[in-house]
Amino acid sequence: MRESKIMFLQYLTGLLILVFGGLHFLALSFLTPSPDKQLYVYQSATNHTLVGGALYYNYVLDIYKNLAWAAVFELFLTVVTFHAFNGFRIILSEQFSGPTASKVISYSMLIIGLIVFIWGTRTILLAFLG
Amino acid sequence: MTVQVILKGFGEVVKEVTFRVRRYDPEKDNTPKYSEYKVPVKKGMTVLDGILYIKEHIDPSLSARYSCRMGICGSCAMIINGKERLACQTQILELNKDLIKVDPLGNYNLIKDLVPDLSKLFNNHKSVKPYIIRNDNPPTAEYLQKPEEREKYAMFTECILCGACLSACPTMAADDLYLGPQALAQAYRYIADSRDMGFEERLNVLDSKHGVWRCHFAGACSEVCPKGVDPALAIQLLRGVLMKNSFFGYKQVPAPVGKERPTVVEGLKVLEEKIKESEKK
Repeated sequence: MRESKIMFLQYLTGLLILVFGGLHFLALSFLTPSPDKQLYVYQSATNHTLVGGALYYNYVLDIYKNLAWAAVFELFLTVVTFHAFNGFRIILSEQFSGPTASKVISYSMLIIGLIVFIWGTRTILLAFLG
Repeated sequence: MTVQVILKGFGEVVKEVTFRVRRYDPEKDNTPKYSEYKVPVKKGMTVLDGILYIKEHIDPSLSARYSCRMGICGSCAMIINGKERLACQTQILELNKDLIKVDPLGNYNLIKDLVPDLSKLFNNHKSVKPYIIRNDNPPTAEYLQKPEEREKYAMFTECILCGACLSACPTMAADDLYLGPQALAQAYRYIADSRDMGFEERLNVLDSKHGVWRCHFAGACSEVCPKGVDPALAIQLLRGVLMKNSFFGYKQVPAPVGKERPTVVEGLKVLEEKIKESEKK
């Protein structure tokens, strides 16, 4: 694959990290999948929904059991893995130039990236299946 | 009758500055060292004049590369007080310092003292085929180009191959095989030229692992260029061309050939005959 296409994917995954990272941040900070989302606010007359507050750990685990969210996390994992390991490849190939070094770097980044991806997928699946 | 022009203060010694010059002789020294020289400065004196003063009056063994002395040949690029400049264009008094530190260009092998080995610059320049490439017959007249078409690359024709940009480039410091800002700017200069048809021939070099995508856009090349060329801009424009090419293809439309010129046609015939003669020999 030409370097321009790889770099296009690098820029695209960079943007997608912002999107999926934002969703991930939302999921962990603002969204509450459980109907029991009322919080009593100290010294306040009423209860408030949990917007802007922290989530209970069980609520967070509930998010992972939702298929749509699991898909979002899997996509997030995919783009982060590609972006990170292609980034490492670029940094390393600047430091160690030459055709042999280039091959070693490219294949080792591919293998390590795949291992990280498989391990991350396993974590998402385990959380999804409960 | 001769007319004598007297410039006020010209020729008078204004002050004395110290030149701290990096010296290195590969035949004698293991590592470079700095030597200091006191130089009397007159109005209008450049750093190159200072170096030549040292060479003539203090230490003739000091080596520096120079030629035109007026910012055209690009031979005397060196690092003066931490920045890449042409020594012949840098006025000592404008630096406004009592100590002038002179180093050879960075990111090159060193031949001696202030003389870098510019092979890397020239080889990279050569690798992008910095000339107009056409597939059609030899022209019988000029290729026609509108002024606005020339404007697209006009700035990049100013490059004098001084090598200052490669010295300032941080990617060049890390990546030995990186093409560098000079070669990339020149590649864009020819690709953007409406007379050129050589995009495909340059593609493999430009769109490679050590090509146009390795630029980190530090902008140091544009900062130091003594001729006001903006190689960082050329690299961004080149990336746009390559990105367009990888998805939609990039086609160059050849500029038309103008009205046939008898002198050019005759010249071509003479040239062809000479080539045939030399082939026979």
